[in-house]
Amino acid sequence: MKVPAFDYVRPQSLVEAVRFLAGAGGEARVIAGGQSLLALMNLRLAAPEILIDIARLPELAAAGEDDDAVSLGAGVTHAAIEDRRVPDPSRGLMPRAAASLAYRAIRTRGTLGGSLALADPAAEWPAVLAALDAQAIVCGAGGRRMLDCGSFATGIYETRLADDEIVESVRIAKLSPGARWGYVKLSRKSGEFANTLAVAVADRARGHCRVVLGAANGPPLVLADASRCLADGARDPDALRGAIGADLDRAADRHFDDFQRNLHIVAAMRAIRQATA
Amino acid sequence: MPNDAWGIGASLLRREDERHLNGRGEFVSDIKLPGTMEVAFVRSPHAHARIRSIVKPSDAAGRVFTAADLPRIQPIRIVTQAAGAKSPSWTPLATDKVRYVGEAIAACIAPSRAEAEDLAAAVTVDFEVLDAVVDAPRDLRGSRHLVHESWGDNLYSERVFEGGDIEAAARAAAITVRREYRMRRQSGAPLEGRAVLAHRDHRLDEIVVYASTQTPHTVRVALGEFLGLDLRRLRVVAPDIGGGFGPKARLYPEEIILAALALELDHPLRWVEDRGEHLLTSAHTRDHHYRVTAYADGQGRILGVDAEIVVDAGAYGLWPQGPYQEAAMAARNLPGPYAIPHYRARAATVATNKAPLGPYRGVGRPGACFAIERTIDEVARAVGRDPVEVRMLNMVRPEQMPFTTVGGMRFDNGDYPQSVRLCAELLDLPAVRARQQRGEPDGRLIGIGFASFAEQTAHGAAEFVSRGASIVPGFESCTARILPDGSAVLMVGIQSHGQGLETTLSQIAHHELGIDPARIAVRHGDTESTAFGFGTFASRSMVMSGGAVARASRLLRDKLCQIGAHLLQCNVAEARCTDGVVRGPQGSVTIAEIARVAHLRMDGLPPGVDPLLDATATYEPAVGTGVFSYATHGAVVAVDPETGFVELLDFAVAEDCGTMVNPMIVEGQIRGGVVQGIGTALYEEIPYDERGQPLAGTLADYLLPGAAEMPAIKIGHLHTPATATEYGMKGMGEGGAVAPPAAIANAVRDALTALGNSGAEVNETPITPQRAMAAISKARGIGSA
Amino acid sequence: MTAIRLRLNGSDIADEVPPRLSLADYLRERRNLTGTHLGCEHGVCGACTILVDGEPARACLMLAVGCDEREVETIEGFAGDPTMAALRDSFHRQHGLQCGFCTPGMLIAAHDLIRRGEAGSEHAIRAGLAGNICRCTGYTNIVAAIAEAAASLAGGPRDAE
Repeated sequence: MKVPAFDYVRPQSLVEAVRFLAGAGGEARVIAGGQSLLALMNLRLAAPEILIDIARLPELAAAGEDDDAVSLGAGVTHAAIEDRRVPDPSRGLMPRAAASLAYRAIRTRGTLGGSLALADPAAEWPAVLAALDAQAIVCGAGGRRMLDCGSFATGIYETRLADDEIVESVRIAKLSPGARWGYVKLSRKSGEFANTLAVAVADRARGHCRVVLGAANGPPLVLADASRCLADGARDPDALRGAIGADLDRAADRHFDDFQRNLHIVAAMRAIRQATA
Repeated sequence: MPNDAWGIGASLLRREDERHLNGRGEFVSDIKLPGTMEVAFVRSPHAHARIRSIVKPSDAAGRVFTAADLPRIQPIRIVTQAAGAKSPSWTPLATDKVRYVGEAIAACIAPSRAEAEDLAAAVTVDFEVLDAVVDAPRDLRGSRHLVHESWGDNLYSERVFEGGDIEAAARAAAITVRREYRMRRQSGAPLEGRAVLAHRDHRLDEIVVYASTQTPHTVRVALGEFLGLDLRRLRVVAPDIGGGFGPKARLYPEEIILAALALELDHPLRWVEDRGEHLLTSAHTRDHHYRVTAYADGQGRILGVDAEIVVDAGAYGLWPQGPYQEAAMAARNLPGPYAIPHYRARAATVATNKAPLGPYRGVGRPGACFAIERTIDEVARAVGRDPVEVRMLNMVRPEQMPFTTVGGMRFDNGDYPQSVRLCAELLDLPAVRARQQRGEPDGRLIGIGFASFAEQTAHGAAEFVSRGASIVPGFESCTARILPDGSAVLMVGIQSHGQGLETTLSQIAHHELGIDPARIAVRHGDTESTAFGFGTFASRSMVMSGGAVARASRLLRDKLCQIGAHLLQCNVAEARCTDGVVRGPQGSVTIAEIARVAHLRMDGLPPGVDPLLDATATYEPAVGTGVFSYATHGAVVAVDPETGFVELLDFAVAEDCGTMVNPMIVEGQIRGGVVQGIGTALYEEIPYDERGQPLAGTLADYLLPGAAEMPAIKIGHLHTPATATEYGMKGMGEGGAVAPPAAIANAVRDALTALGNSGAEVNETPITPQRAMAAISKARGIGSA
Repeated sequence: MTAIRLRLNGSDIADEVPPRLSLADYLRERRNLTGTHLGCEHGVCGACTILVDGEPARACLMLAVGCDEREVETIEGFAGDPTMAALRDSFHRQHGLQCGFCTPGMLIAAHDLIRRGEAGSEHAIRAGLAGNICRCTGYTNIVAAIAEAAASLAGGPRDAE
C-alpha cells in the first residue's frame, strides 16, 4: 500500500506551523518522526490533505533542565532518551521505557511529542508521562497552555489537543534521590505493542506515588487505590491485589476480559514490587 | 579424487551470497522495463457476497479491467482423479460472486502503484452480502450456507484410511486416551511477497512473465491452458525469490491476469503484492482439527489409533493439486514413526469463505505430528511412564526396516529411537529435570518435551499417482554443458530461493567431473534456458535435481573420456576423468583442452564422436514412494503461571537425512525450518470472525518469530544413507518445521504438571498467553477464561 | 513536485519528487538502489533499514521530501567501511543468509549494533535484532556472524584515524 496524495509544507518556525494548522480547517496533520502516522497512511487508515513537517523545527528540539524539572522538546527522539543524550528527570525510568519501545530504527526517528499526541492506547510514553505527572506545553493559534499528561489523552487516539495545537515540549519534575520506580511491559515479542504496561513511581519525598496502566483499552489508567497502597509501602500483597482489583472494577468502561484483567493485575503488582523492593 | 573441500560432504561457502550481501540480488520488483505501468486490484471486502454491479470511474477507460474486459481468461479448474472429490472452477477476476475477503474483482492500471491504488479506491462494487461459512467442523455437511451452491454441502472430499482392525484394538486396550487438537490457520509469509511483471516481446512473439514463484515451468503450462496460448509463446522467469516455503509453489489469479493484460496492452505491467494482500490472499496453511482416540496396553504400547481429521481449506483449490493433499497427508502421516498395528482415520476437506489453503513447509505433517506426539505423551502419562520411554517403545526399530506403516508410508531405513536418545542428550535431559525439581526463583515452571517424525521426501511418480494428482512431479531434469574454455553450465528445472542449490548442484557436478565449482554456473528458474522441470517444493530438489545433475555430468564424463582417450592415444577403458583432467596410462589432457577440441577443433575428435559437450538427463529415484528423513526435536520452556507467557529456553534437533551434500546448508535449512515451526507453535495465526473477516492484516497482528525470542538451535546428526538415491541423499528441506509445535506443546504440558492434580494441557496452536492462561485457570479451578 | 537535495551514498543529489513518495520508493524506483527491500511497508520487518544521518531508519516510514538536506546511506554504499566489510565476510562464512531478502537491512542493523557497542554478547545481538525479521535462517547463524564480525573488529588492527 502507498500513501494517499497530500500537500506538503515545511514551516520554518513553530508559529508558522501553528498558522498552517489553524488554516487547514482540520484537514492537516503535523508529522515529526512519522513512525506511526506514515504506517497508518501506508495502510490508508489515515489520509490527511496536508502534512505539516515539523521534524526539524528548532523550538521542538530543545532539551533543558532547572533545579526542579527537565523540559524535553516534543521533537526529542526515543533514541535520544534511550541513549541519555538529553537530561533524565526519572532516575532511569524514561531510558528504560524508551529502550522497550518498538525497534532501534523506529526509535531514531519517532518522537516523544508525537507519541503523546497520537495517544495510541498501547504506547509507552502516555503511561510513563502520566505516572511521572508530567505537563505537556502545547502551542496553538491562541497561544500556549499547559496540560497534565495524566489527563492528556481522552480516548483511543483522542486527546485534549485542539485542532490548531501542537505539542511543543514536556516538562517533567525531577524525581527525588530516594525515589523508586517500576516498569513492566508484557508483550509476546520484543518491540511489539504491549499486552499490558504498568508503571509505578514512588517519590515519597515529593509526596508523589502513582501507578498507571497502559494498553488498557483507552487512555492511561491511573490506579488510585493502588497508588495509595504504594504510598503506604504496599507491604500486604493481598491488600494490594484487592486495591488493584477495585481500581479495575471502577474502570468498567474498559471492558477488560478475564485474561486482560489478570494480566493488568499481575503487571501492576510486579511494577509496584520493583518500586518498593 | 575430487577436491574434498568442494565435493559432496564439504561445507562449501555459497556462491549466492555475494550479490545479496551487496544489495545486488534481483527480485521481481527490482526489474525495470521501460514504460512499465503498475497494477493494483479491487478486492472483495466481504467473505461471501453476490456482485450486483461494478461501476468504473467515468475517466477510467482502458485503465480498469474486470472479467468482462478479459474474455480470453478461462476459469482455473483443478483436475483430480481422487474418488468423489469436488473441484470448483475459479474465475481469476470474480464475476457473479466473491467467496473470501481479498478475492480479486478488477485490475487497475496507473503509472505508479499509489495512483493505481487511488484508481482502485474509486471503483464502486455493489454487493449483496451473504452469510459466511467459517466453521469447518460445524459446517461441513449440515450448513444452510454453501460456499459453492451446486454442491449441496461444503465438502471438497472425504476419505477413510484404514489398516488393521481398530475395533479389536479398542477391545484389547488397557487404557484409552481421547483428545481434540487444533492447529490454527496461518500464513507462509516469506519476507518477499508475490510479484508479477509481464510484457510482450514482439520480436520473439511471446509474453514474458517474471514471477516470484517456486515453479516457473508449471506456471507456464497453466498460463498456456488458461489463456489458450501455445507454450512457445510464453516464457516464465523466476529470478531471485525472497523466500517461498510452499505458498509460491502454486498458480495464482494475478499471474494469469497480468499475462492477459500484457497481451492486450502495449506496455509492461507490474504487480507487487503488499503485506496486507499477502496475508489476505496468498495461500494460507494448516487449519487442521483432530479428534484422536488412542488405545494402548498397560505399558503404553499403542494398539490402535482412531482419528477424525477436518481441514478447513478455504474457498477454492489452488492449481495444480487443489485442496485435497492436506487432509490426505495428515491422515497418512498421523501414525508417525511408530509401529501401530490398527488404524482408522476419516479425513474431510471442507470449503469455507476463507482464503484458499495451500502448501507450506511440512504441508499436512506438522498437524499430524502435533496430534500423534501430543497423544504419545498423554498415553505415557496415563500409564505413568516417561514420554521418552513410551516414544521409543512404540517406534519402528532399525531391524524392522524397510517398514510400511499402517498409514501406508514405506520407511526405507534409519535408527529412529537413536534420534530420541541423541536429542535428549543434546538438551541434557537429567540437568533439565534437576532444574525443574529445584524450581525457578521467579516462579516460572520449567518443562521439557519431545516430538519425533519421519518425513517422506523426494517421492516420485508412484506417490503422486496414488494421490490422484493431476500432474505427477516425479522427475527432474538437467542439461549440463561444458563450454569451449572448460567452464560449465548446469541448466536445471528447479528454482533455488535460499536453499543454496547454485552451490550444492555445482558440488555434485564437481564430484563427477572434477571441475572447480567456481567455474560451474547453475541456471534455474527460467523456462527459456532450462529443460522442463517441476520446481522446488516437497523437499525434493537436492535429491531430484542433484540426481539429474549427476546423470548429465556422467554422460559428459563418458564423452570427455572418449575424446581424451583419443587425444592421449589410449583405450577409453584406460582413461579416468578426475580433478578436471582426463588421465591415461602415459599422460593427461585437461577438460579445457578437450572442450576446445569438441567445439573449435573438431578435426581432433575421434571418428564417430559428435562435437559439443552437451548432455540432458532426467532423474527419478529408484523408489517412487520416497526416502525418509527422520528426526526428534526437543524443547525446553519456561511458563509463567501468572500470565501464560511461554519462553523458549532451549531447542535441539537430532536428525538423519542420509548423505549431506553440504552440511552447512543442511543445518541452515533445519534451523530455518525449526523457527518457522516455532512460529506455528507460539506466534502465527490468522483468525477469522463469524462474518469471515480475517483479523490479522499486518505484521503487528501477525507475529513472526524474532531473534530476541529464539534460542540458538542445537543440531545432532545421524547418518544412514538412502539406498534408492544418488550418493544416499535424502530430502530434508521441510522437516525442521514439522515437529516444533508438538515438542513445544509437550514441553508446556510437562511444565504445567507442576500445577498438581492432572495438570494442564494446551492442545491448540499457536500457544498464546490467552490459551495457556485458560488451561492454567481451568487446572486451578478458577473459572475458565 | 517538491525539490530536494540530499547526500546519497556519498554523492550530492538534487531531485524533484511528489510529496507522497516514500524514501524507499524513491531509492528503488528513482535511484535504482534496489537493495533496499520492502517486506511490510509498516515498519515491522526491517528489510528497508538504511542509515539516515548516520542512524538506522525505516525507508518505508520516511518520505523522500523529509530527507531534504539529509544524508542517506544504503546497502549499495559503505565503500571502504571496515565494519561493513567484516560483516559481509562473516555473514558469508557463517551462512547468515539464505534467500537474501532481509540481508541488506540485517547488515545495516548489525552495522549499527557494532557501532554503538551493542554486539558484545549473544543476548545483546538478539535483542538488537528485534526489528529485523529473517524468515529463512532461524537467526542462529546471523547472530554468530555479527558476534564474529564484532570480535574481529575489536581485536583487529586499529585504524590510525
